Amino acid sequence: MPTLEERLRQIMTDETAHLHAAPDLVERVIRSSRRRRRQGRLAALATSLAVVAAAPLYVAVAPGAMQAPAISETPLPPPPIDDTPPLPSEPPSLGDLGDGREFGHVKVGYLPDGLRWSHWSADLGDRYTTAWNYDGDSGGFYCVQIHVYEGAAVQMADDQVRAHRDEGEGREVAVGDRSGYLVVEGVGEDGMEGTPTLTLDMGERRRVSIMFSPTYAKKFPDATAVDHELIRIAEGLTADD
Amino acid sequence: MSAAENAFGEFVAARATTLLRVAYLACGDEVEAEDLLQTALERTYRNWERVRHDSPEPYVRRVIVNAAISRARRRAILRIIPVRTPPETPARSTDVDLRHLLMDALRALPPRQRAVIVLRYWEDLSEAQTADVLGCTVGTVKSQASKAMAKLRTALGEASVEGVIGNAHA
Repeated sequence: MPTLEERLRQIMTDETAHLHAAPDLVERVIRSSRRRRRQGRLAALATSLAVVAAAPLYVAVAPGAMQAPAISETPLPPPPIDDTPPLPSEPPSLGDLGDGREFGHVKVGYLPDGLRWSHWSADLGDRYTTAWNYDGDSGGFYCVQIHVYEGAAVQMADDQVRAHRDEGEGREVAVGDRSGYLVVEGVGEDGMEGTPTLTLDMGERRRVSIMFSPTYAKKFPDATAVDHELIRIAEGLTADD
Repeated sequence: MSAAENAFGEFVAARATTLLRVAYLACGDEVEAEDLLQTALERTYRNWERVRHDSPEPYVRRVIVNAAISRARRRAILRIIPVRTPPETPARSTDVDLRHLLMDALRALPPRQRAVIVLRYWEDLSEAQTADVLGCTVGTVKSQASKAMAKLRTALGEASVEGVIGNAHA
């Protein structure tokens, strides 16, 4: 009689037997990597051209003195053919956020040292979010994620806080002259410690949740240090309206 | 193609299907599995000169599994993807039913627990190797595997799944 482990092994084998890598996978990977490199070079070129174009603002003495800088004669490459199937469940992103310190209507004044914008974000209309990690890789783990709720979505954030409060989970905290709610969210991600989360009240129209991944939270000596850092990030959050 | 590209191509030709299956078991979706694999291979290709001298497969596997966990966590936080749950009153009369039931239960596991099951029981990695892929301790792998197996048993609604399997074979 097979054990559960043996049965699982057989089932996983059966379930994946029909899957085969696409024969053109190598070409797609190499082509996509080249395209990324080319786009990186073009971005760098665009940045340098922007600097060149901005320079005459300081030296121009007469109207009409500014001329378009001479650009390479090399024609731009054709638009890439994106043959990667889109993920069915990924929401639209917020675009290039630079260092990620400003997104939507929110500005992040403080983040712990060593974090870079992850190049990942999600725009759900009245909710939006982005994250930071160590290497800036959008496919990597996040360390800190900030989720903004605005307008009608504020109710969603308030409902979550209320549910924790009703269960006796978490606690109210003062964040400068604002208030927040600290709790360890169980988002079902790993069945372990959960996600330390501070939800900040930023006025009637906005709530902001700051989350540490369980892995990142372990970098701190204890839960008190995690809470302290969450509050510090919350204190640095400002809105542009 | 350069020599590096040829070496990379040989690696992909030899291992891509296995890695695609790991990706599928880690995320539970064929389209996303293909995307996970391609993303992981692109990252591997960018670092090929460094990765090729070690064994590239563990590197790719690590990228795939951790990316799958990361994506699943984001979804859980965004609450945009309903969690798949096993059927409440599963039919157990045939082997196929049991297979679907266990696969649904596997998909419903938290992503890290699912990854532990895939790495331990499908990839046949040791606890230490699994811990290395996931960047955690052996103790964590043990506890996660134990919790996952308990959930799979619970999802089947039986204290002992072996009895069910026996019936299915009877």
